Amino acid sequence: MDRVYVERPVLMSARLAGVALGSLLSALAYAAQPVLNPAPTAKDWAALAALPDWSGVWTPNVSDQERRIDADPAPWNSAAAAQVETLEAAEKRGDPKGLFINCLPEGMPTWMLISHNAVEFLFTPGRVTLLGESDGNRLRRIYTDGRQHPADPDPTFHGHSIGHWEKDTLVIDTVGILPEAYLAVSESVGVPNNGDVHVIERIHLEKPDVLRDDLVIMAPHVLSKPWITSRLWFRQRARKYDIVEGECLEGNYAEGSDSKGNAVFVPTPQTEGGNILPSTPQSGDPHEIR
Amino acid sequence: MKYADRPARLTLTIAAACAALAAPVFAHHSFAMFDFSKDVTVTGTVKEFRWTNPHVALLVEFDPKPGAAPEVWSMELTSPGNLTRGGWSRHSFKPGDRIKLTFNPMRDGQHGGAFDQATLLDTGQVISSDLRAAEKPGLE
Repeated sequence: MDRVYVERPVLMSARLAGVALGSLLSALAYAAQPVLNPAPTAKDWAALAALPDWSGVWTPNVSDQERRIDADPAPWNSAAAAQVETLEAAEKRGDPKGLFINCLPEGMPTWMLISHNAVEFLFTPGRVTLLGESDGNRLRRIYTDGRQHPADPDPTFHGHSIGHWEKDTLVIDTVGILPEAYLAVSESVGVPNNGDVHVIERIHLEKPDVLRDDLVIMAPHVLSKPWITSRLWFRQRARKYDIVEGECLEGNYAEGSDSKGNAVFVPTPQTEGGNILPSTPQSGDPHEIR
Repeated sequence: MKYADRPARLTLTIAAACAALAAPVFAHHSFAMFDFSKDVTVTGTVKEFRWTNPHVALLVEFDPKPGAAPEVWSMELTSPGNLTRGGWSRHSFKPGDRIKLTFNPMRDGQHGGAFDQATLLDTGQVISSDLRAAEKPGLE
C-alpha cells in the first residue's frame, strides 16, 4: 500500500484528508461526551473499609484443583473432547504437551483454574486488582465503578472484567477473551477456547482464611454446556509469603557475560517440553553493543 | 545461614521424610516427562543454582563411575516464590557444594530430572520441597 501512495500523491492526499476528517469527528464526539475516571473522594476511600478483608497472600489449594478435574469435569464438546483425550494420553505416557511453555499468559479463566502460584487482591475505589505470582503477566483489573463492558472490547488474555458486590461476595463478569487463550485443566491438557467466552465468578470467604471462587464458564465453541466449578485459596500472612517478582521468560536464559564484561542473559538450551538442559552458558548476547 | 542453624529447617527435614509419599507440585509446565516411579540417588558437585522463574534449576556434576567422563545433569524445581515458603533461598546451594541427590529422571533419557531431595555432605543437612504441606492457611 505504501508504494501505491508514493506513486499516486493525489490519492494519498485524499486519503489523508479522510483520515483527518475522521479524526476531527472522533475528537468532536469525544468532546461532546468525555468519559472520565473521576478522582476518588475521601468517602470512596472510606467505603473500602466496609468491604470484606481479603488482605494477605492467597495460596491455591492444588490438591482440590486436581480433584475437581474429575469431580467437576469440563463438559467438552465432542471436538474438544477428542483433543483432550489425546493430550491426556500424551501426559500419561510421559510426553506432555506444554501449553504454556511459550510464556504467554494462562489467561482467563485458566489462571484461576490451574495456577500453583500465589495471588493477592488490591481494593481501590472503583476497582479490584488481582496480582499473581511467578509471572509478571498474571494481572486482572476488575472494574467495580458501575461501568459496562465495551460494545466491542479488544480481545485480551484476561478479558474485560466488571464486578459488583453482593453483600460480601464479589460478582465478576468477564468477556473479551482472546480465542487463542487456552481453556485448560492442567499445564498440558486444554484447548484454545476459540472465542465468545463468558465467565461469571462469585468470590467470597468460605471460611475466615479460605477464599472460594465459584465459576460459571461459558465457552460455546469447546463446551457443550456451561462448566460450573470452584477453586479455593488459603490466606497467608507470614511475611515470607509476600509476593515476589517472577518473569516466565527468565527461565529461557542463564546469567552470563558479554565480551565487554557486561552482565547479560544468554539463551539456555531446553527440551521441547521446556525443561532446562545442562550446558555451560556461552558468551555472546544477540543484543550486545558492538 | 546453614539449615541446621534455624529451627524452622527442622520442618524441612520432616517434609523430606514425607516427600516420597507426596506427588510433586510444579507450575508452568507439566512434569509428566519425569518418571516418578524411579528414584535415582547419586553424589555429585553443584555446578550452578539458577534461582529463576518459572522453575528453579540445580545443575549438578555427577561423580563419574570409574573410567567414565563426568556428566552434568539439570534438576528442576518449582518457582522461587514457592520454594521461599519452604525455607529455601537463592543461597540454598552454591557452586562447589558436595551433595547426595535423589531425583526422578526424565523418561526420554536426557540429562534432566525432577529434584526430590539433597543432603549437603559437609553438614548432613537435608534439603527438600513439599508444596502440598502448604495447603492450609496461616502458615508460619
